[in-house]
Amino acid sequence: MSFIDSLLAGLQLVSNVEAFLALALGVAIGVIGGAIPGMSATMAVALTLPFTFSMTPITGILLLLGVYKGGIFGGSIPAILIKTPGTPASSATVLDGYPMAEKGQAGKALGMALWASCTADLISNLALIFFAGFLASFALSFGPPEFFTLILFSLTIIAGVSGDSLLRGGLSAMLGLLLATIGLDLVYGTNRFTFENPNMMGGLNFIAVLIGLFAIPEILSMVWNPASQDGVARSLGRNKVTFQEYRRSFKSIVRGSFIGVFLGSIPGIGAAPSAFLSYSEARRKSPNKEDFGNGEIEGVAASEAGNNGVAGATLIPLLALGVPGDVITAIIMGAFMIHGLQPGPMMFVLNVDIIYGLFIGLIVSSIFLFFLGSVAIRGFKYVADIPRGVLFPAVLILCIYGVFAVNNNIFDVGVMFAMGGVGFVMMRYKVPAAPFLIAFILGPLLEDNFRQSMLMSGSSGWVLFRGPITWFFWTLTAITVFAIVRAGIRATRHQATGTSQP
Amino acid sequence: MEDRSIQIQLGIGAIAASVFLIAVAIPFWVSSPSNVPNVILSPLFWPNVLAALTGLIGAGLIVTSIARPRPEKPDASDVDDRPAAFTRLAIMAVIMIASVLVMPRLGLVWTAMLTFAATAFLVKTKHPRSALVCAVVIPLVLYVFFAHIAGVAVPQGDFVRLP
Repeated sequence: MSFIDSLLAGLQLVSNVEAFLALALGVAIGVIGGAIPGMSATMAVALTLPFTFSMTPITGILLLLGVYKGGIFGGSIPAILIKTPGTPASSATVLDGYPMAEKGQAGKALGMALWASCTADLISNLALIFFAGFLASFALSFGPPEFFTLILFSLTIIAGVSGDSLLRGGLSAMLGLLLATIGLDLVYGTNRFTFENPNMMGGLNFIAVLIGLFAIPEILSMVWNPASQDGVARSLGRNKVTFQEYRRSFKSIVRGSFIGVFLGSIPGIGAAPSAFLSYSEARRKSPNKEDFGNGEIEGVAASEAGNNGVAGATLIPLLALGVPGDVITAIIMGAFMIHGLQPGPMMFVLNVDIIYGLFIGLIVSSIFLFFLGSVAIRGFKYVADIPRGVLFPAVLILCIYGVFAVNNNIFDVGVMFAMGGVGFVMMRYKVPAAPFLIAFILGPLLEDNFRQSMLMSGSSGWVLFRGPITWFFWTLTAITVFAIVRAGIRATRHQATGTSQP
Repeated sequence: MEDRSIQIQLGIGAIAASVFLIAVAIPFWVSSPSNVPNVILSPLFWPNVLAALTGLIGAGLIVTSIARPRPEKPDASDVDDRPAAFTRLAIMAVIMIASVLVMPRLGLVWTAMLTFAATAFLVKTKHPRSALVCAVVIPLVLYVFFAHIAGVAVPQGDFVRLP
């Protein structure tokens, strides 16, 4: 199928009111979810997932992608107005956004955040369209050993960068991999930790684990400490961002977008490091570097471009390789699976219409984000005023309905609560949840590819080093482990000697 | 809780979990056919590898925690009254367990209403009237969506059935 044919097939799939309504609704839900302090884009995507079951695959996935895009931008609204990032990715936006709000320039800061977010989102989506197909065609030659080393590399980097230490991330990933062994054995069909319970023979339900791990711990945190953490919302002021200011920050926005695209396409890095790197690069290159941290509009532009530049790029490894780039794309991968689709290189062959439909939807989502984001900025006050004592019980009820609806099974609700307890303990012990979830999803794939490799080679381990692709991933894994361990040792030494890190 | 103490507790927990898995859980709760040609292909192999790696990570956590300095002052707690916080958590656990147990008898909608109200009052909501209204309205709206639009067979329970 030529590019034009694929594009037309995708256009045919999404050229209906339902698909665009779902996308717009998704962006709106995401912006609201991201803007509510205590919720996050991840939780918003997780809670929306059960509502997609009755939709067609393309409509359901567009809804979730809309929530993702909206959620990342939505996090910047409370970051600027109440100094509370709605998502971790918006932490860098606080640095200059809140000082601007204190000066009565909140409207200007939010306007710039929106312009930068939409520009970065568009660049990120274009990068996805250009690179995903290329990477997928390359990945078509992958066999089980290549996929095994790719997944191992992804898990290493996810475990290494998503927490305070590689070891805690590694522990989280191990727990996820162990949990993924529950169910019938992939090759022999024998029982593994099923306790003769038929509910466990197919493994634990992904949605129950996901919502249990990401939504329930937030509710338990609220129960642990119900004292309100709401800040004081600043007024928007009369200032609006001008085209002149946008043009002055344009270089930083484009640079931040490319940083986001680069870091987003590597599984596990996520939006927060990208936002901080983009911010520090903008400060380094800016003639007004002394104003950064005191309300410099270019700082807001750079950090927002950095975190939104990731949003399209994290879909590159998901669509091209079947490896989620972060937790949200892991949830979206779950949505693909629920709708009977397996993301990865074969999707570019078997479901090319869906791939191009998603590309078109993503481009349109940047436009929706611009208009809905403008409305959300003005409506934030109403969102921020939702009492937490009503919001979190409502989230709990959404979780119960959503998890039950997956299989019409009360057992899944019990699994969700159990995982909520695990997630809360992990939160208290500062063990990151992202490696757990991604390992839980990738665990069966990792084991399956490992055992297939062993079957292929008559149980010889050399098959895992059979060619340049496997060498490449082994080298990347070794470099990642070395870099993270070295950084950890340095940090420990600095702590021991009582000096701050350079 | 200070970082060093967290690291040590995590390390001990990981080693304990590893020993339990290798000595008890895997031998008793993972079954393997007797005619597996190679140990690498056995259903026991992967869980054993993961359990061993968990133990190694636990040891690593303990070793690295030794290198960390002891803080001069213990970290301040994030809540003023820890016993009350634990009591609230215990009550929340009871609410969650009870909701799973009573759902087949009461039905999803009524269970959700009670769970909403109980949770809102547990966290001493400042808006009790709004909470009560939401406790009734939200489960009903979700029932309408899931039962009548998404076609999910929402459990109705033995007492009051909804259309």
